[in-house]
Amino acid sequence: MNPFLARGDRLGLYLASWLAVGGLLASAVARPGGFTWGQALVVLVPVTLVYGFVCLSSWYVCRATPLRARSGSSLLTNIGGASIVASGFWLLLGQGWARLLSGVPALDAAPALYARDRVLLFTVGVLLYVLATAVHYTVIAVEQSRAAERRALELQLLAREAELKTLRAQIDPHFLFNCLHSISALTGSDPAAARRMCLLLGEFLRTSVKLGAQDRIPFSEELALAERYLEIERVRFGPRLTIDRVVEDGVGACAVPALLLQPLVENAVTHGVSHLVDGGTVRLEARRTDGGLTVAVENRCDPDRPKRPRTGVGLQNVRKRLAAQYGGEAALRVDESAERFRVELRLPWAGE
Amino acid sequence: MSEQTTKIRAVIVDDEELARSVLREFLAGRPDVEVVAECANGFEAVRAVTELKPDLLFLDIQMPKLDGFEVLELIGSEVAVIFVTAYDEFALRAFEVHAVDYLLKPFGAERLAESLDRAKSRLGRRASLPVKALVSTARPKEGPAQRVLVRDGPRVHVVPVDKLDYVQAQDDYVCLHSEGKAFLKEQTLAELETTLDPGRFVRIHRSYLLNVERLARVEPYGKDSRVAILADGTRLPVSRSGYARLSELL
Repeated sequence: MNPFLARGDRLGLYLASWLAVGGLLASAVARPGGFTWGQALVVLVPVTLVYGFVCLSSWYVCRATPLRARSGSSLLTNIGGASIVASGFWLLLGQGWARLLSGVPALDAAPALYARDRVLLFTVGVLLYVLATAVHYTVIAVEQSRAAERRALELQLLAREAELKTLRAQIDPHFLFNCLHSISALTGSDPAAARRMCLLLGEFLRTSVKLGAQDRIPFSEELALAERYLEIERVRFGPRLTIDRVVEDGVGACAVPALLLQPLVENAVTHGVSHLVDGGTVRLEARRTDGGLTVAVENRCDPDRPKRPRTGVGLQNVRKRLAAQYGGEAALRVDESAERFRVELRLPWAGE
Repeated sequence: MSEQTTKIRAVIVDDEELARSVLREFLAGRPDVEVVAECANGFEAVRAVTELKPDLLFLDIQMPKLDGFEVLELIGSEVAVIFVTAYDEFALRAFEVHAVDYLLKPFGAERLAESLDRAKSRLGRRASLPVKALVSTARPKEGPAQRVLVRDGPRVHVVPVDKLDYVQAQDDYVCLHSEGKAFLKEQTLAELETTLDPGRFVRIHRSYLLNVERLARVEPYGKDSRVAILADGTRLPVSRSGYARLSELL
């Protein structure tokens, strides 16, 4: 919709400027001895106002001829053609109005005004149309930049939200309740193990809260958190869960977004090993690759596992966070076969 | 003044050893309950129910291979069940709706005692679980089934839908044909049909449901009917309305 028709206040301002144009025009054609300013006003102002509406059509010209996409010549042809047609219409309209007014005794000479200043009025009509086009281009540009600003803001909000969601989802209530139940079980049979589990869980919770508040952390801290998590799960799952850790020396110094590895390890247990009757291994790999850090989490999984749409949420969050933090410089790759699930993260190397 | 009754024979089903041990410990203090088996997965649970005919099942929901609800579907309402879960909002809602007893991990001996009292009164009244209604409320609709579970006495067969060729109705049973083997399941063909992908399984006849991926061709048979020939040479009758459904899909 035309930006002037869309809002009442804009339309008012627009028509007021056309009223002023009408007034100026009247004073330009008024001559001592010929037409008075008052007479010229009556002849010209109504037609000018109608022409104001006609000039709203330049919005379509602007839409059809975007400034950036078109060459100068096509711009000139489109706008020139439209303004000549519009101005022709405005002249005809004026002449019709003048003929109508000639019935009124004081204005019987109105058609003569048009006969005399035909060329002048036509030229003014063309110029006014071109001016209206320029105004429309400006308004459209302003609106586009506002929309772009809004979109950028929305994207920023989305990224922030995605981060918050991962943090909230971080400590899965299911995990917590199960841990408490394991502790309750151990209290009867093996109090020392119960105490150890309490300490592990306490440390895990404290570290996740602390790391969650930070932006970037050394990879060594992220790795330690993931390992603590696996240690707790090993108490729950017993011999069903084994861990295979292949971590290159020196990778711990790389700065990484906090709590990026944690959801991957959690997925490997909750969607992978926990569905296996005989259990399986979670393999954690980290190595330095040219210019970056490659981290992989791999687990065995049940080949007959029912496909659950939920499993993708954690991965999607990680993907969104990578995109928000690194743009195209980081990558997440998922390799899935019947019995194996592997997620590989590639991050650009960042020092402290 | 309750008389000395026979002990309740209970089975504990949970994939975590620690979770089983806490129930075992609590139940050891109860003279009215005897734990006759412990199962680490759903297959063992079905076997234990068949062979031991227990009175009561403590059934964990999140388990590998067969979850608690799948076990319930397989054993039907022949045993009283107390569900055990840590956290599952869909399951909890279903339990509330159908007034089913459940224990939330972690739980104590007192809470367990309440559940046992309720279970005893249910056993006395021979009240059974509304299995189908419960399972359908507990599971968020997740699209067509990926596999069909068949109970064969103490054993459970998992038939992946990808490997299902066709299904034949036999009175109150369906006969599932998969890779040259046949499995009998207590279910009507109409019931099974609603759980499968309608873009893949077509009712070609009152008694036959066909996986269209197995269809080689359709030939006329007699003056008014047709026969479907599968890739492995099997011939199945196609009714007039079945042919209409088949042509609509292809």
